[in-house]
Amino acid sequence: MSLGKFIEDFEEAVEDLEAGTLSGSTDFRQLEPWDSLSVLTVIAMVDVDYGVRLKAEDLKVSDTVEALYQLVQTKAKS
Amino acid sequence: MIDGIVLKGRTVLVLGATGNIGGAIVRHAGSQGATLVLTGRDQAKLDSFRVDGLSKTIAADIATDTGRGSLIEALPLLDGVVFAAGIAPLAPVRYLKDADLQACLHLNAVVPILLMRDLLKAKKLNKGASIVCVSSIAAGTGTAGYSAYAASKAALEAAARCLAVELAPKQMRVNCVAPGMVESDMADGFAGVASEDALTEHAKAYPLGIGKTDDVAGAVSFLLSNDARWMTGATIPVDGGFSL
Repeated sequence: MSLGKFIEDFEEAVEDLEAGTLSGSTDFRQLEPWDSLSVLTVIAMVDVDYGVRLKAEDLKVSDTVEALYQLVQTKAKS
Repeated sequence: MIDGIVLKGRTVLVLGATGNIGGAIVRHAGSQGATLVLTGRDQAKLDSFRVDGLSKTIAADIATDTGRGSLIEALPLLDGVVFAAGIAPLAPVRYLKDADLQACLHLNAVVPILLMRDLLKAKKLNKGASIVCVSSIAAGTGTAGYSAYAASKAALEAAARCLAVELAPKQMRVNCVAPGMVESDMADGFAGVASEDALTEHAKAYPLGIGKTDDVAGAVSFLLSNDARWMTGATIPVDGGFSL
């Protein structure tokens, strides 16, 4: 698991995001295509690709892609 | 419907009794005089029921052949069956897991058909029995992320219509209720993966507001009762006006 790969997976999950447009410091909730379906999709992506079950609340408290990545890492280890 | 007597003398099996909607159905049917047989996977939860009319609890995993076999063997003759067991994996189809899709279709749609087959073969249903399936408004609407759940409930409703015709000569009735979002475990599960904003927006689509499990249970008791004797193959929306 790496931040770079997580960013790629995140970009692929959220519709209308082009590859290479995000960085770890991106506030994903401010992205133009971010909506309720994006929340569901990112939760499902993390479940399938990383084996971690996030809740919508987790995406509210993590404001950047890197913060979310770190949360996924923490949950994956527990 | 006169409170307390409409299900008197009727033995009703509730599958998925330990869920929130299932539990509400149990309590309501008990209050209407039914003799209750409850099943779920968790014996401890089944043992915790304190309801009028409770006759028997049977712990069984109805998703398995063995579980269904032991359940059928342990059942008395029935006048009513309520299928309230179900699961709802929510995910956009790009990330829908094979196992989740198959488990959802199996428990929500295949198992009720298999159980109906086995109940009929074992002659466990009395003439005039009423079968009630808990469907969902998802069966008749389109919502992103709900493909597995909606497909399973649409299949359940379709099967119920066919069974209604097939069993009419025995004066047996088969109907569905289609609840909207209620304050239940499943709604809480939706809340886990759906954003608060999305839920707030969704709630606005209910003219009568979000429902309670008791709202669903009342409709189920009605369908189990003789008051619904000329109803079969129907799906009653219990959705606070969502589908209007």
